[in-house]
Order: sequence, then C-alpha cells, then structure tokens
Amino acid sequence: MRRTKFAAVLAAGVLALAGCGDSGSSDDNSNGGGGDGAGSDIKVGLAYDVGGRGDQSFNDSAAAGLDQAKDEFDVQSQESEAEDGEAESAREERLRTFADAGYDPIIAVGFAYGPAVQKVSAEYTDVQFAIIDDSTNTADNVTNLVFAEEQGSFLVGAAAALKTETDHIGFIGGVETPLIQKFQAGYVAGAEAVNPDIQIDVTYLTQPPDFSGFADPARGKTAAQGMYDAGADIVYHAAGGSGGGVFEAASESGNRAIGVDSDQYNTADPSVRDAIMTSMLKNVNVAVYEYLSDIVNGEEVGGTVTYDLAADGVGYSTSGGFIDDIVEQLDEYKQQIVDGDIEVPTTP
Amino acid sequence: MTTHPQEAPAESGPLAVRLRGIGKRFPGVIANDDINIDVRRGTIHALVGENGAGKSTLMKILYGVQPPDSGTIEVDGRTMRLSSPADAIQAGIGMVFQHFMLADNLTVLENVVLGAEKMHGIGGAARAKIREISDAYGLGIDPDRRVEDLGVGARQRVEILKVLYRGARTIILDEPTAVLVPQEVEELFDNLRELKREGLAVIFISHKLDEVLSVADDITVIRRGTTVATVEPASVTSRQLAELMVGSELPTPQTEASTVTDHVLLEVRELRLPDPAGGRELLSDVSFRIHRGEVLGIAGVEGNGQSELVEAIMGMRPGMTGRILLDGEPIGRLSTRARREAGIGYIPEDRHRHGLLLDAPLWENRVLGHQTRRPSARGGLIDARAARADTRRIVENYDVRTPGIEVHARALSGGNQQKLIVGREMSGDPVLLIASHPTRGVDVGAQGAIWDHIKTARRAGLAVLLISADLDELIGLSDRIEVILRGRLVGEFDPGAVTPEQLGSAMTGAGQDSAGKETDA
Amino acid sequence: MNVRLTKLLLGLAAPLLALGLAFLITSLVLALAGDPVGAVWSQLLQWPQPRNQINILNNAMVLFLSGLAVSIGFRMNLFNIGVDGQYRVAVFVAAVVAGEAWLPGYANTALAIVCAMLAGALWAGIAGVLKATRGVSEVIATIMLNFIATSLVAYLLAKAAVREEGSNVIGTKVIPESSWIPGIQVWSDVATELYGFIVITVLAGVGYWFVLNKTRFGFELRATGQSATAAVASGVSAKRMTIATMMLSGAVAGLVGLPILFGDSHSYGSTFQSGLGFAGIAIALLGRNHPVGIALGALLFAFLDEQSNPLQILVGVSPDIVAITQGVIVLTVVVSYELVRRYGARLEQRRVAAELAAGVTVAADGDRRDPDPDPSAPSAPDGSRGPGDGDVDLSKETTR
Repeated sequence: MRRTKFAAVLAAGVLALAGCGDSGSSDDNSNGGGGDGAGSDIKVGLAYDVGGRGDQSFNDSAAAGLDQAKDEFDVQSQESEAEDGEAESAREERLRTFADAGYDPIIAVGFAYGPAVQKVSAEYTDVQFAIIDDSTNTADNVTNLVFAEEQGSFLVGAAAALKTETDHIGFIGGVETPLIQKFQAGYVAGAEAVNPDIQIDVTYLTQPPDFSGFADPARGKTAAQGMYDAGADIVYHAAGGSGGGVFEAASESGNRAIGVDSDQYNTADPSVRDAIMTSMLKNVNVAVYEYLSDIVNGEEVGGTVTYDLAADGVGYSTSGGFIDDIVEQLDEYKQQIVDGDIEVPTTP
Repeated sequence: MTTHPQEAPAESGPLAVRLRGIGKRFPGVIANDDINIDVRRGTIHALVGENGAGKSTLMKILYGVQPPDSGTIEVDGRTMRLSSPADAIQAGIGMVFQHFMLADNLTVLENVVLGAEKMHGIGGAARAKIREISDAYGLGIDPDRRVEDLGVGARQRVEILKVLYRGARTIILDEPTAVLVPQEVEELFDNLRELKREGLAVIFISHKLDEVLSVADDITVIRRGTTVATVEPASVTSRQLAELMVGSELPTPQTEASTVTDHVLLEVRELRLPDPAGGRELLSDVSFRIHRGEVLGIAGVEGNGQSELVEAIMGMRPGMTGRILLDGEPIGRLSTRARREAGIGYIPEDRHRHGLLLDAPLWENRVLGHQTRRPSARGGLIDARAARADTRRIVENYDVRTPGIEVHARALSGGNQQKLIVGREMSGDPVLLIASHPTRGVDVGAQGAIWDHIKTARRAGLAVLLISADLDELIGLSDRIEVILRGRLVGEFDPGAVTPEQLGSAMTGAGQDSAGKETDA
Repeated sequence: MNVRLTKLLLGLAAPLLALGLAFLITSLVLALAGDPVGAVWSQLLQWPQPRNQINILNNAMVLFLSGLAVSIGFRMNLFNIGVDGQYRVAVFVAAVVAGEAWLPGYANTALAIVCAMLAGALWAGIAGVLKATRGVSEVIATIMLNFIATSLVAYLLAKAAVREEGSNVIGTKVIPESSWIPGIQVWSDVATELYGFIVITVLAGVGYWFVLNKTRFGFELRATGQSATAAVASGVSAKRMTIATMMLSGAVAGLVGLPILFGDSHSYGSTFQSGLGFAGIAIALLGRNHPVGIALGALLFAFLDEQSNPLQILVGVSPDIVAITQGVIVLTVVVSYELVRRYGARLEQRRVAAELAAGVTVAADGDRRDPDPDPSAPSAPDGSRGPGDGDVDLSKETTR
C-alpha cells in the first residue's frame, strides 16, 4: 500500500517534470489510435520485444490487437520497445516505469520478459500484467498468453509440400530458441505428412543469446538466397523483422516464401507481395484484443490462455489466392489436429 | 624555354625569391626574426646554420607549410601569399626533402606522376616529358625503372625530377648531401650546376661548409632565427663561416692518445643474416673484435647492413647465425634484455623510433631499457623516486636542457633528446656501447658534449662500436675503421691515415658497381 | 602561467568540450527529427530515483569491467575487439562451474570466478598467439573469435540447458543460493540491491592502476603501446608482451558478466545481457584508458541507458536517441581529446622553449665551460621544430 502511494506520487512528479519541457506530444503519442481517451481510467502499457511496432510481424500483430481495442473501447495506451541485448534490469525498469506512471494493465510482448514480469508483478500486486509466449508465471495478477505455433506451422508446412515443384523447401528461423524450434518442428511435420521424402533445409540466423536474428533483413536475405540457389522453391521464415529480406530474395529469384505471425501479404512491402504464398498466422492481435476486452468488461483475467487451432489463435492466410486450390486438403489436416488425430511435435 | 648559358650571372640578375623581414614567433620563442634573403635566378644559394637555427621554419614558410607572422615573400617580383604547398608549387617553388618520399615498389614514372596526373596523364606523354626533363638537366633517369632498384643518388635525382615535372623554377633542397657519399655529392653538384645554367634558382640548405663553399654562388648564414650575413664563397673560409654560424668556436672530434688494450671485449664471428624476403644476405660473414678502450668505427653508405649489424648484436634480428662473444661469454642466444643486462649500452640510430617514448615524461624515458635494474626498478616494481632522482642527475651531468623531468620527451629539441639517451645508456655502467649515428641531427654544442662523453668512457675502458655517416666524426673518434658494403666488411683503415675521399671510394666499392654510377656523364 | 593549473584546465577542457558538443549535436538531431528537445533533455538530465541509481551503479559496474578489459589492450595499441566473445565464453564457463557446485558456498564462487578469468584469458590468448607467431591482426582474430564464441556458447548452452516447462527462456543450471554474491541494500525502501560484486570491481580498477603504473610489467606494456620499436630496443619481448597483454585483457573480460551472474540472473541463458564488449570499447575511449575515466564513462553510459525507458514511456521519444547520444559522446570525446592533446603538446613545447629562453635553467648553464653568449640560441629549435614534429608524429599514429 505504501509502495503504491509512493509510486503514484513519484509518477506524478516525473510526469510534471517531463511535461514542462513540451506541451503535449506525449499525449499525441498515447492517443495515436484515435478516439478521445479523456475520462477513461484504463491506460494500457505495451512493452514490445526487440523490433517494436513496425516489425511487420510479431510485434505488429500485438500492436494490431491494441489498436483494435482502442478503436472499440475507451482506453489510452503507451508503447515501449526493447533494445537488442539489453540488461535484465532494463526490462524490469520498463515494466516498473509503466506501473509507476499509472499504466494498468501492462502487456509484455515476448518470452524475454518472463523473469521481469515475474519479478515486477510481485512488486506491483494491484497492477495487471499479461505476457505473451511464456506460461511460467503463476501470480494472480499475471495472464499468460501462449500459442500453439507448431499447429499453424504444420499447416503451412503441408501447404509448402503440396505446392513445391522441386520437392525441396526451406525454413529460416530468426534465433534458435525453443520457441522458434516449435515453428520448425510443426513445419517439418506438416511437410513430411504430405511427402515423407521431401527435402527440407533448416537454418537459423543467430543463436541465443544473440537476438539480432530477429531484426536483420540482410542476413535473412542471404540465407534465403542460399536456399533458393540450392534448389528450394518455398521458404518459410520465423524470423521477425529479418523476414523482409527473405521476401526480397524470393521475389528477386522468382520463388515463393511463407510469412509468419501476421498476414504478411498485407503488411509486407507491395513489391514483394506476390512472392508471399501464405502466412502462418499467430494471432497475437486476437490474444491482446481479447485480453483487453476482458479487462474493459471487468471480467476475470489471469492464468494461462492457450491459443491453438481450435481457438483460432493460429492458422494460415489465403490472401493473394495462391493456395486456394489446396485449402480443402489443409482444412482436412486442420480438422485432424483439432480432433487430436494428429499430434504435432513441439521440438524438432 | 630560354637557355642561355650563364656561367656567372650578373650581380643584378633577376630575383627568383625575395624575402623581407620574415618573422615567425611561437610564444616564448622567436623562430624567425627579420629574415632577409635575395635569391637570384640562375644561382645556387646556400642557406647555412646550426641545427635549429631556424632554417626549417624558414623553408616551411617558403613552401607554404606555415604562414609567417610578418614580412613579405616575393616570387619572381610578385608578392605572394603561400598558404599551402599547393600554392608554392603553383608559384613555381619545389622542395626536395631530406627523407625521400618515393614509393619503392613503383617505377620512376609512377612516382613522378603520382598526384600530378592531370599534367601530362600517366602514360606516354608523361614518359616523354620525364625523358625530356631528364635530358635537359642531365639527370639520366629512366622513367621505367623501379625505384627500389635505384641507388640513393639516383633516388635523389628522381625527387628533383618530380619537382621539375611540376614546373618548379625555384628548388629547395633540404640537406641533400646528408645521405650521399663524397662521389655522389659531386654528381649532385654537377646536376645542380646544370639546373642553374638552365636558369633555375636553387636554395641549398646545409651545414657542411666545405660543400657549401664549393657549390654555392651566394651563402646566407642564419643564426638564432635571423640572417646574420650573406657572403660570397670566394670571400670567406670555412672557419669564418663556421664562426658566423655558431657565434663561437667549432668543436672537433679529435681522439687523444690511444687507450686500446689487448683485452678483447666483443668478438663477432661469421655473423650472417639472411634476407627474410629471400634476397641476398643482409649480413654475410661479418667478423671483428673490439678491445676494451677501443672505438671501432663502421663506415658505409646507408643501407649496406649497418642497422642490421647493430640490431643483430642487440638481439633484435631473428634468423641470425654466427657467434657473438661479450667478454668471452657467448651472448648470441640471449634476449635483448639479457644482452643489455650483460652490459651493452645502445644509442639507436633513430632515437624517435628506437630510443624514446616521445609522449612519456623524461624520467620514464630514463627507465626505458633499464626497467629491470636499479635504480629504475626494485623487484617487479618501478622505483619512480629513484628513477626521478637519477634522471635529475643525467639532466645535470649531460646538460639536458629542460625545465624539468616531468616534461614529455617530445618537448625537447633533438640534441637534448640525444643527450638524455647518451646519459641513460652510460648510466648502466656499460662495458660495450653501440652508438649508431650518435650526433645525427644534434646541434653543435650537444655534438661536442656527446663526443666528450664517448671519449671519457673510452678512457675508462669502454669498448665502442660507432656507426656514423659523418666521416669526420668516424675519423675523429675511431681507433680503427671498418668499411661495410652490401653486408660485408670490405676493408680496414687507420683513421690517422685515411681521408674522407678514400673512405668514400671504399664505401661505394672502389668505383665498381657503385650505387651512384648509373649516370656517368 | 601555473603549470599544474594549465594541466588541470586542459584535463577538464576535453570532457567539457566533448559533452558540450554532444549536447549540441544531439539537440540538433532531435530538432531535425521533430522531437521535443526540451522535454527530452529535462527527462534525460533528471537526477535518478533511488531505485534507478542502484540500477545505474549495477550496470556501470559491468560496463566498467568491460571498459577496463578493452583499455588494457589499448594501452599496448592492441585492439581487443573480442571482449564480447571473451566475456560470453567466460560467463558461460562460470555459470556451468558454479551451477555444478563442486565446492560448497563461496569456494564455489571463487572457483567459478577463477575459471571465468582463465576462460577469458585463454580465449583472448588465441588471438594473442596468432598475432605473436603468425602476425594475424588481433582485430580480425578477435572479431572472428567473437563469432566462434557466440556459436560455441550457443551450442554448449543447448547441451547444458535446463528448460523450464512453459518458458521459452533457456539457461544453465541455477547456481545454489549459498554461492550467490549477496547484494547490498542501499536504500531501506528500495528492493533493488547493489551487486556485491562491486568490491571485486573496485579491486579490479585499483589493480589495473597499480599494475600499469607501478610495475615493470605495466611499464613495459605502456612502453610497447607508445612505441613498439623503442620497447623492443629496450629489451621487451614483443611476442611475449602481446600474448601476455591479450591474456590479461581477456582475464578481465572474463569478469564482465559475473556481477550479473552472481548478483541477479544466477544462471546463464538466452536473456543474458549481450553486446557488453562493444560498449566497453566506447567506454575505454571515453575514459582515456584511465580507471577513473573509465568509471566515469561507465556511469555516464549506464545513466543514459537507464533513461531510455522513461524517455519512451513518459516523453514518447524513441530510445534510439540514447544510443545516438552515446555514439555522439564517444565521437566528440575522441575528437576533443585529440584536439586538446595536440594543443597541450604544443603548449608544452613552447613552455619548455620559453622557460629555457628565459633562463630558468641558469643553474645548469652556470657550470658550462662553453661561454655561450645567449642561452636562447639552442632553444630556438624547440619552438621552430615543435609543431612540425608534432604533425609528423600524429600522422604516424593515425596510420599505424
């Protein structure tokens, strides 16, 4: 109790100080989604992973969920993005700064925030936290939002195997973490379900703890070019911002690529759009939106919410019409997964 | 281009360069003060003065490197503002530096056109132009030879050609004879006379008075930053010139009675050093002995193995074979440090590269090379207090002019730096001193002091290996002189009986395949 | 003019000039980008809250060690770009050793620290040996070793990893609590504690100063850095020195990650702070290779880092401005120190010349046999040669 009071006073002081240097651009920023935030009590703090809003992928998907919530509900928001290789204390401070400034709920995008959320949520017990891609937190004021990426990846893997003309496809992971290995495992399983003899090249751009692989389009392009040169004609990337390079390589060599997280046919640069056959949808936006909607509606939050095929938390996109002819087959696989007839592995 | 042969231009010949009242001050120091010089076209004008008398500053002003604080520069009758070397070149002034600025692995043509590609291109036109200049001034330069194949004299002519190629009508030569043997000096002077016949003006900086007297038409003496006199060579003796220069008497390096003993201190046997690049041996079959109390001088044109010999004895050259015995003990396999600790003092030829830490205070420079011994060190620790005290002793005993021992070595003049090194190397009570060009670039006062120190130490039984390009110094200090040529010792001379000319002949191989002989006219 | 005062003023001039320039340039960048200049500075220059002060100190500790490691190489003109790889290998080794807990309590901690320093030293030593024996540029070698270290640690981490169900963070076994280095509670009402590793960090700083300035080894290291040729002529073995310096630099680099390991994370994993080695290069430059300077540089960087979150959340400006400010500071520091150094060198030469001209060394002159009519004569060269000499040597330095 004492802590909260102290924090609130501190936050007010900091805000006042920050305010005296300028007359409201921070307000502009927090109301970016439109709609007048005046009168609303809900201030959402969104802490992005490396790459932040504009990565055309994972973080953007979270941003989309926030934007949707802001359109429909009366909430204010502020966003903050992680830096590559930052200290654990920097992540903690990000959450604390949000909390001190009165943001509640605070959504942490990405598993890197796991330990920080655990620590800070214990310090600010009357603030609600949500974390995406981590299910280790058990505190009452933390909601874990996790996805069955392997299921969605299974479907695009099957799509790639059905569509390839060379029986040779590829997978590019941003950083070799357990999370991205889930994508790989599902993709490989899906492709091999269609064609057990298919050749699948797998590469990762960087290894933890080097996370630059999620934000290095040049490296993504080089890796993809290598795969296309070696005979692969479809490459699936789970590499965040590095995916832009994968699309470029696909477009330049006349091959195809599979996007990730959001429907990248719509978000990627128009010049490479036609190379994007489909995207594995990881509907972080849905998770963020639903979480915020629960908060606004005063519903119970907390615990772990898993977004899988059954919950439409993951899936694939059909924009561009490149895979319209195989939708039927893919839906068959989907049904089998939902029914539990196919169990998709989570590790390669 | 007009070429009227004027052996002796009229006294009133047109002025190429006229300097009036040139002054240049640095806080606390007047580098140049009221310099007045008239350089007539078609003459060789010598500028003489002690090291540090202000010649370099003056030349930097004339070549546009530094602006003068006061005074005027007129070139060919027009007052000029020279704010960069490019301006100077534009005005027809060229400079040949003491240290050649040539790329060894390029041809003469490539070296000449480098940076002047716009003038005649880089191909046939440039080659023709170089031939034309070479023929016109009798330089005898083949544009397609590689610079690395040329001798020192020829390289210098390439430098001169470079300047002419850029259209210079006034050429400044900074100590051009320092790197040449007597025969090459004569050839250079022939070239210079050719230049003046063609109507160019040559400004010749030197402190070798005999040379100046033999080649110059006018001599201007600079002392303490100001022009003290302009004289004609016919009207002065070299003694008078020297006194004008220093304002006091010149010291001479005369060894007194021989102190040579029969105790062999350093014995070098069949020293060989292969060329790491695979060329001919840098040292082949070098053997000699130095006794206690003896000074052995090594004469030779630079680049004939002197540096390698010194560094081999100091243990700085891997790959050496042969035996080195110091007082009977083999030291050939010891590290440089162990050799120093065994009693070898070392005055390196390039004090900036090998002798000093320019950005360290004087007392740390005192420690350098003695960091394992008292008083500089005590166990694994540096004893700063004792080192400082001993540095003060050196500063006092060796007359190192400095306001204190905490100033950086860089702040001292060359002569004072050298005195510090000599004092340091003597302080380890060496039994053998290896002195490479111990007085190069040192003012006259310091030169005399250094000679005195070497002589004193020799009397006390020190063995000295002396390498010098200054033949007077060699002859004056040595008990014995060996001549080195292409890594071999080719002759032994008695300094009491030999002349600089005889030494010069031996240094160039007695006339056969000499470095400076490509252009025998 | 008072010499000490001049030195002090010159010493202060460089950092002040640098910070002033950095302030201007950063403001310009902000203004061009249309960000609120005033708000950014008022946030950036705010005195940190107690909690943030501790964070800054903790972060600075890590940066200080990194800067120290880099500057050991710098003092010998060795560019150890590989601190990043060295600390990564070292902290991994320490995490594994401490995690296995072969020894009890603090013996385990001590063993892990020694192993980390050894690992860092050996990793850096590879570059040292390559340079000494084969002449491979240490810049190239250490950069390559960084890549190898990254992959090697990733590979070994995958082997040694302990995965917690539901978490995507992978890491080594958690160190037993008895081997943690306890934090220091600075403020009674703030939970964040100062890393206990500060004691070792301070010792490292003092040790650095002592070894470099007071020992023969340090003298030889500095001499080699100032002039390798002169050091060789003085009897220093350049090869041994290269290897020893790289290893010492690597050993200190081995400490870099340890404050975090023993004070906070207690295991090495995928979220462990990275890029510390590169920050160390900037900080060593900033601190002019002096332990106090490095400490100040580390504090400044840590302070700016700490402001990046509030800047974004409270002012709404991209935290990249922090990185820009840091980069600009490094550049302006390097430039202004060089300017001040040249000016200082020139000033000293003139002063020496002036003092000689004014007859300060009359005592020395008194016992000269040579009746020199004017003591200013030999001093003239100093002034006239000085600037030229300076220029020549500077160009040598920059091309080296």
